[in-house]
Amino acid sequence: MGRLFAVEIIYRGIFQKTLAKNISRGIVLAAHQAGKPGISFGRYSDSPERNGIPAKSFAIVGTDQETLERGMAKYEPKEVDITITVDDTLCKGVESWAWYGLQPVNKLLKQGGTLIVTSRETPEALISMAHRKEYPYQLCIVKGTVSFSGLWVYKDDHSDVRILGTIARILPELFTLDSLKKVIQDEWHDAVKVSSAERAYERFTSTTVRPNQGNPETPYKFDLPKWHEMGEGVAIPSIPTGKQIEDPGTHAMGGYRPDRNPTFKKFSTRTMRPVVDFDTCIKCTLCWLQCPDTCFDVTPDGLYDANMQACCGCGVCEAVCPVPNCVTMINETEFRDNSSQWEAWKKDKSGYKTWLQQKIESRPERSHGFRYRGQYKEQIPEMLEIAREG
Amino acid sequence: MATYVNIEPTQNLEPFKGVKKLPLEEYFTSGHRTCQGCESALVMKMMVKAAGPRTIVLGSTGCMYVANTTYYSTSWVVPWMHTQLGSSGSAALGTAAGLKALMRKGKIKNEPINVIAFCGDGGGADMGLGAISATLTHPDYNCLILMYDNESYANTDIQLSGSTPWGANTTFSTPGPAKRIMHHRWKKNMAGMMAAGHPTCRYVATICMSYGLHGMNSIRKALTIGGPTFIHSLDPCPKGWDYDPIQSHELGELAVNTGVWPLYEVEDGVLRLTGRTQQIADKRIPRQPVRDYLLRQGRFAHFTDDDIDYFQSKVDEMWHKWLIPGAIPFHKEIEADNPPA
Ligand SMILES: Cc1ncc(C[n+]2csc(CCOP(=O)(O)OP(=O)(O)O)c2C)c(N)n1
Ligand code: SF4
Ligand code: SF4
Ligand code: SF4
Ligand SMILES: [Mg+2]
Repeated sequence: MGRLFAVEIIYRGIFQKTLAKNISRGIVLAAHQAGKPGISFGRYSDSPERNGIPAKSFAIVGTDQETLERGMAKYEPKEVDITITVDDTLCKGVESWAWYGLQPVNKLLKQGGTLIVTSRETPEALISMAHRKEYPYQLCIVKGTVSFSGLWVYKDDHSDVRILGTIARILPELFTLDSLKKVIQDEWHDAVKVSSAERAYERFTSTTVRPNQGNPETPYKFDLPKWHEMGEGVAIPSIPTGKQIEDPGTHAMGGYRPDRNPTFKKFSTRTMRPVVDFDTCIKCTLCWLQCPDTCFDVTPDGLYDANMQACCGCGVCEAVCPVPNCVTMINETEFRDNSSQWEAWKKDKSGYKTWLQQKIESRPERSHGFRYRGQYKEQIPEMLEIAREG
Repeated sequence: MATYVNIEPTQNLEPFKGVKKLPLEEYFTSGHRTCQGCESALVMKMMVKAAGPRTIVLGSTGCMYVANTTYYSTSWVVPWMHTQLGSSGSAALGTAAGLKALMRKGKIKNEPINVIAFCGDGGGADMGLGAISATLTHPDYNCLILMYDNESYANTDIQLSGSTPWGANTTFSTPGPAKRIMHHRWKKNMAGMMAAGHPTCRYVATICMSYGLHGMNSIRKALTIGGPTFIHSLDPCPKGWDYDPIQSHELGELAVNTGVWPLYEVEDGVLRLTGRTQQIADKRIPRQPVRDYLLRQGRFAHFTDDDIDYFQSKVDEMWHKWLIPGAIPFHKEIEADNPPA
């Protein structure tokens, strides 16, 4: 039997669907150049894809047809040579459906395999987000602002070809830089895209991640019934009604915390999270009322605490809040836990204020798709500059 | 006079007096697998907040079924059941009739229970039109049909529906170099059609949950008035409309303020413009240009200035030439229609 290559691309659903497709298709086309057959496909169970919710695309290549067919006899690969994540916040884990639980980003990576991440963060920051693995692997950062664009208008900032150039360097047995250059020219007819791939190839660096490095937590899991264990009529138990909350200081009960779906949490959907300034909040209710994900717990003192088990980071609460800087969306890379902001504020108000200020100042720009016509044209030059100069 | 119609009492839900007086309880909660910024999920949450705990919800296939029941888990607190794509009308009527029969036979406690069947624009205005229409002609069953309109068959990845706006990019109407506008039909006027065509239906309304209190009070009115009722909600959808989800709330406001989405209710045959639409009609606030709405969405990114002007002219026509502005597209004279080449 020949050699089988497997690459997975983890991306944020519709927002990065075209990007992921360009990468996995590019891999297969480049491998084809040297006569290797391959298949690029999206994971069926992720469909229908939603904005933000993690999805996977795979590129499987064999040195010959029979090897490829054997590799394809599985529903999805059990191990991969390269994992690509086109958004760094996915390093915290991947949760695509209720039956997966939270999966470490590096779960399928072979020993010595490479995790490629698009990010402006340092290797240390990314390593601390990803769960520990029992054996070493390589981390390679493709420097840049994470690329998001919707279903109809693609932001062509060369993230796709820069990642492809990186793969040519990591795994030349899969495809060479020359094969890749030819594919990019044939597909896009764009010499600048070809040079972006070359630059990424030349500038490649990677870090070894050792078994004692990374997030030591056990990712959260649960057991769901098998199909033959399900109730009559496939009836699903409903969610109980919510309960009051205890004030950590006075121990008074009040407010309301809705019960939530225990098996599908949405924190791995999030690329940003809201932080709330409880000192300036005027209790207008709008964030609570307009949140499509019912994230806000109502506290006994009438404030609204965005619950980080549930928040998917849409930003609607920031958009509706009438008080300037009262709700601010912050890059998810700035956080390491999902604890209650209101409880932290209750325990130490001035400490909370300092923490809040730090978060707001470190606020890196992120955007998640089309806001107005012409916006991508304004954003792309910065990325092309990074592609050129590093 | 003999009574031919036998209507059971309803829950008599008084309007909510303001956002600060809303009940805290949630009956549709977190953990649904919808997109970030999904306004249809917000409609579900507010719909059952308005209806309260003694409510049964039926839902036809679409995002609000598939995303809200991901592998043996759910976000529903109240009882909910899936029904076929075109069947929200039948499911509403059947459930209301079933409850009535069980109560008559003494098998369950005799009490008013809200029956709400929701459907998407595909499942409602296209595939389910016949069944919804039939239900609205049955005066003796209390049920509400709520159509959440994200302007496409969204769950199956954005195919165009009879409710997709003119010219929008969908999987079935992708603009290309030879032909820019691939969707030439104007959006179906579903609420107007339901109101005009069903004299026994006592309440029809349009809502948009960017105006949450207004929307919830429409739902409470529909459930209180009795008989079969219909509500049409317009829901910004970041996946299909192609925009950054932080804009979800604002796009709903823009749909109303540009006059693209008029808010009104028809109660016992009397039409009333409501909310911001009423203020625009009274000239208390200006009607914003549709450009402000269109340029914020990737699905209209291929529009030229001519296309935007045409869209504007059709919206102006709806406001100035329709016999009842925004609601019923009857004209007093024939209008020329000149879409851009
Ligand atoms: C009879 C039938 N035809 C087709 C489908 C496939 N299907 C599932 S959801 C869906 C889209 C429904 O669109 P809409 O009612 O607008 O709801 P949305 O997905 O937009 O929320 C389709 C076509 C189906 N489930 N049943
Ligand atoms: S960002 Fe705000 S509105 Fe969006 S899900 Fe999180 S808490 Fe809710
Ligand atoms: S929207 Fe802002 S001011 Fe209003 S309750 Fe929420 S945090 Fe407070
Ligand atoms: S496609 Fe639209 S309606 Fe469906 S889940 Fe996403 S935002 Fe909601
Ligand atoms: Mg729809």
